[in-house]
Amino acid sequence: MTSIIEMRQITKAYRGVPAVKDVDFTLEKGEIHALLGENGAGKSTLTKVMAGVVEATSGAMIYRGKKVAYASPFEALSDGIAMVFQETSLVPSMTVAQNIYLGEEKFLNRLRGIYIAAQQFLQSLNFTVDPAAIVSSLGAAKRQMVEIARAVHHKAEVIIFDEPTAALTPEEKRHFFALMKRLKKNGVSIVFITHALEEAIAHADRITILRDGELVASGQASDFDRDKVVRAMVGRALSNEIYNVRRTASDIRKRGPKVLSVQDISMGAVVRNNSFSIFEGQITGVFGLIGSGRTETFKIVSGIYKRDFLRGGDIELDGRKVRYNVPASAVKDRIIYVTEDRKIEGFFETMSIAENFYSGLLASGLEKSAIINFAEMRALSAEWSKTLNVKAINDNARVVELSGGNQQKVVIGKALIQKPRVIIFDEPTRGVDVGAIAEIHQFINRLAGEGLAVVVISSYLPEIMNLSDRILVCRQGRVVEEISPIEATEEKIMYAAVH
Amino acid sequence: MERPRILLGTFGMILDPLLDLFRGRAVTIPPMDGALRPNTLLEDSTLLREAEAPDSLVTAKGEVLFASGKDIRRLADGATIASFSETITALAANADGALAAGLESGRVEAGGKSFEGFKCPVALAFGGPDELYVCNGSDSFAPSAWAADLMNSNASGSVWRVNLRSGERSCMARNLAFPYGAAVDTGKRRLIVSESWRHRVISVPLDGGSPVELLAKLPGYPARIVASPSGYVLPLFAPRNRLIEFVLIEKDYREAMMREIDPRYWIAPSLSAARSFLEPLQNGGVRSMGIHKPWSPSRSCGLVVELDTALQPLASYHSRANGTRHGITSAIMHDGAIIAASKGSGAILRIMP
Repeated sequence: MTSIIEMRQITKAYRGVPAVKDVDFTLEKGEIHALLGENGAGKSTLTKVMAGVVEATSGAMIYRGKKVAYASPFEALSDGIAMVFQETSLVPSMTVAQNIYLGEEKFLNRLRGIYIAAQQFLQSLNFTVDPAAIVSSLGAAKRQMVEIARAVHHKAEVIIFDEPTAALTPEEKRHFFALMKRLKKNGVSIVFITHALEEAIAHADRITILRDGELVASGQASDFDRDKVVRAMVGRALSNEIYNVRRTASDIRKRGPKVLSVQDISMGAVVRNNSFSIFEGQITGVFGLIGSGRTETFKIVSGIYKRDFLRGGDIELDGRKVRYNVPASAVKDRIIYVTEDRKIEGFFETMSIAENFYSGLLASGLEKSAIINFAEMRALSAEWSKTLNVKAINDNARVVELSGGNQQKVVIGKALIQKPRVIIFDEPTRGVDVGAIAEIHQFINRLAGEGLAVVVISSYLPEIMNLSDRILVCRQGRVVEEISPIEATEEKIMYAAVH
Repeated sequence: MERPRILLGTFGMILDPLLDLFRGRAVTIPPMDGALRPNTLLEDSTLLREAEAPDSLVTAKGEVLFASGKDIRRLADGATIASFSETITALAANADGALAAGLESGRVEAGGKSFEGFKCPVALAFGGPDELYVCNGSDSFAPSAWAADLMNSNASGSVWRVNLRSGERSCMARNLAFPYGAAVDTGKRRLIVSESWRHRVISVPLDGGSPVELLAKLPGYPARIVASPSGYVLPLFAPRNRLIEFVLIEKDYREAMMREIDPRYWIAPSLSAARSFLEPLQNGGVRSMGIHKPWSPSRSCGLVVELDTALQPLASYHSRANGTRHGITSAIMHDGAIIAASKGSGAILRIMP
């Protein structure tokens, strides 16, 4: 094999703080190369240098034998390097087809022709996305599919995927990996960043691991196993701490009083006669494939979506019927929803950590003062940054500059400032590194231990099985099964979710 | 207050009951989850004895007795120890093993005396050697016509204290919707009463006072509650379902149904799953490939719930729509196990908690 990309001694520093430091990286032609590391390890930065999103502070990049330095992603794309971003870069007001063909428009466009071509193209990738759908109406998984389709469509020689499978269902993941193998067969070189270590080990040819901006290991994927990867990533064998804990009856927290009773709630065809209860002092895990209505159900509970006006069911909080039309009413009743899409709904990315924490307080109505109290803001930020171990240069750092794990901690902190009674975590560790996952899990456990009613919605089965005191499985808009974590197996949960 | 909150928030919730008048109230049933999570533990429990409509389990002098039709029988050997001329509707035993029985005609027999004046004695409990508490389910219907009482939306039940020596009686609570079980909590000086049609358990103070709700919004109709070492055991004799709840708010339909249809086929709770093609809801439980869906809507089920001392559910034992051990009207703790009488299937069962 010959190297298509060779990066030599790449360093990229933000405000003098290096995100990657003297990293050497090579990508062979027609290989799948997995890039692993904790959040903040520098994976995204390294690939962004590759794709021309940021310029390296020092070092050189050799592409097809020539030294290159791209000033923009467009330049890199024209040269055959495409990047599929973790955060979606689609135009939300346009249709799927328009997004795929964006930048390739002819002087006169026949929309029908574009839709037909897009339909055929998406079908060839085994992606079930309606080409005429407006992107803003799509869920995270479908957006990710469009993003992938766009990169493939550009016939790039190098495609960089940043967390491509985080939002996909197991079925969609299978299609994605089959697609990756097809691309590889056609000579396309692929870099993919993932936090699902098994995916890297199973599908990559080579693995490179970064830690704190430095390269710590690189080699053939067959030489790695899960523990070896984790040890290299975090400097200790952490995977057992997080996911391989066998639950026994004594590990299950005792059920407190019923705090929330959801009875036959319906919202169109998405949530259909869904009924379940939430108890204090327990973590209720909610599993379901994308489209099972689990997120929508809890968005109804927390006032983000409205249930059907006619016979939409009942929600009772402490035996009192409630119908929230805006999230503010739910927040007032201390029902807090921590979003799965933190970049869009979770925080103000251009504001500082302190301002984001303070905005949580303002939204809760707990802050009585009409004037912003900067001293209180700083104190609040210092307290919660310490509690949640948010790693940042200082409290004035903009949230957009933080790694995924630290951003998630800010979102969680913002929610906890509102003093919740019922806290709903939707995919709390999506796009979060292994080290931060352990911290977030510990924190969620602590909240349940303190008597809060905690709901964790997750598509990652080991997470559900290890965190939950009871597991609810959703399918076709309703809870179809409740499983105790003692008797739960991945097969059992998945069976309930698909049959 | 900011504008959205006034228009959409709290105010919206206040408007809800008014809007319900026009858009129709949502018919909702509390979910069976948490401690009430369905299982097949009751269905799989050990059969101790088959008998005709077993009911009202009691322990007297260390032996378990039950009512079966007109007889009081012993669980151990099935022998009849006493018989009456009419169906026994309630049974109680005091610490000395003396029995009291309620009968279909409304009569209550205790201590060799007969007490008249009740219409529907469905549960009895001794408060002392000479004191008996009587749950009179209805003022209008006999015990066997309990479904008619529900379909008429009655709340004419009452709880009485009867002095067995003097015959004097006093009403402790009235306007109850079919009080179907009573357990004495001497420590807290209260009587724990299960009120079926309101799907709840209340406490009635022994020294006078208004009833207090202890456990509400049950997903079924509670029957005879009894004390246990960990708190209480509460059987629910039938499940609530949305069709029945809907019928209960449709007065004209209900009246026509009661007028024209055989009570066996009413859209009403039932103690057993009928096998007739006239049975309502058969489409819900349709057998596909010969399998009856356990989660299908049903008029009957078997359900026994263990409660803690604060009346919060701890565990439950189910026989689901596809099961047969339905219509549990009575359950007691005996020798560390729950003994349950399935009136619907004619079986007495032993459940190991």
